[in-house]
Amino acid sequence: MFVRFLSLLLLLLSNAVILCSQTETPIISGGVQYLSTTTGGATVFQPVIAPVVAVPIGDRWLIESRATFDEVIFRENGTTGPWHALTFSSVDYLQLDFVANSHLTIVVGEFLTPFNIYNERLGPVWIHNLADAPLISGIGTRTSGSSDGGMVRGVAVSRKDWQLSYTAYFSALVNASHFGAGRTAGGRAAIFVPSKRLEVGMSYQRFLQDQHLNSWGSYLVWQPASAPLDLRAEYAHTRGGQGYWVEAAYRLSRYRGAESWLGRLQVVGRMQQFYEGTPSPEDVLPGADTQKVDFGLNYYLPHNLRLNTSYGRQFSSLGNTNIWNFQITYRFLFPLLPGGSK
Amino acid sequence: MNRTLIVRVSFVILALSALGSAAKIAASQQLANSPKPSTAKPATPSESQEGEKRFEAQCGRCHTPPQDLSPREAKAVVRQMRVRANLTAEDERLILKYLAP
Repeated sequence: MFVRFLSLLLLLLSNAVILCSQTETPIISGGVQYLSTTTGGATVFQPVIAPVVAVPIGDRWLIESRATFDEVIFRENGTTGPWHALTFSSVDYLQLDFVANSHLTIVVGEFLTPFNIYNERLGPVWIHNLADAPLISGIGTRTSGSSDGGMVRGVAVSRKDWQLSYTAYFSALVNASHFGAGRTAGGRAAIFVPSKRLEVGMSYQRFLQDQHLNSWGSYLVWQPASAPLDLRAEYAHTRGGQGYWVEAAYRLSRYRGAESWLGRLQVVGRMQQFYEGTPSPEDVLPGADTQKVDFGLNYYLPHNLRLNTSYGRQFSSLGNTNIWNFQITYRFLFPLLPGGSK
Repeated sequence: MNRTLIVRVSFVILALSALGSAAKIAASQQLANSPKPSTAKPATPSESQEGEKRFEAQCGRCHTPPQDLSPREAKAVVRQMRVRANLTAEDERLILKYLAP
């Protein structure tokens, strides 16, 4: 049933591309990444392409989708043996949006599960400051990070000094290839103070299949106007465990401007801790109490190219590990129809 | 109805749809080539400044501004971000003025 619905959505997409072509152009954007990760001496290479298609229709409708194609290239015994490669592909979201007004947007289809901020906002390869996802990123997002069903979202209250935004969703159990999702319901609410550039939010999710369980979390994003600093933090709790991460990123744009050779450099640090609860085979969480620190240097090259490098040290009863990452990312954006860039 | 038939019917519908789409593209391009008076109001400096302020506050929490956007591309980008970042209609209008004045 759901696959048929998605087929219908694809059909609408092909027609919508044309309907909107005269006023707004559909676009294809996204990122291409080449990631090299060395964990405890074992190196893995991972090329990724993640295209995003957005098709606006009139003033109120939007069809959008993101897919991820990646390959994992590794040695048979970790550090020795012949090289092997595994290829993966997934549809991260394929959704139809109806913008009713500033207070309400209705979303149907497959969408990114809006639990805290990492999955929905910081996950894309062209956005995240550090290549490794946080230890708690599996809380509230389960395995796929996507939900299949309906969602309402918008700004509940908008004042000059503050805004209250919300998201509420329901997802059905879908086992179809590329569109897998669990039966869940949940929501997120956040307060944003524009003058302080401060956002604080809370998330809740109820997993509604097999053994019902609750997940909840909170987050903070702060960008002080007086410095090019990004401060982000998340806390999440579920039966399988709880943890937090705090990340600070400082771009040296104060020195000779953001486009200077020094101003393109960004220094990143992240600290995180995870405490194991009652583990379940469905959890995508560390198998023991874990602490991790990461230090990264990112360089924003011209033409939407970015280099990310990082070193991390993970402490766990299962073994302490060094993690080295090197990543090059290209962020692209093209019109889907000829003449769209005029 | 068996699965093969469903797939075939879907394929025929998609093919017809693509054909119709191609015809519409040709028609729209002919229309675009004819001179037409512009109805879009250019951004005033204050709107553009306010749009930049809102971009930094709302969008800058996650990413840097995209480079070299045409007005038509910007509309699609900002519509997408309106949904993702819970922007208001006013945010969308002003950010659009900043990205594609």
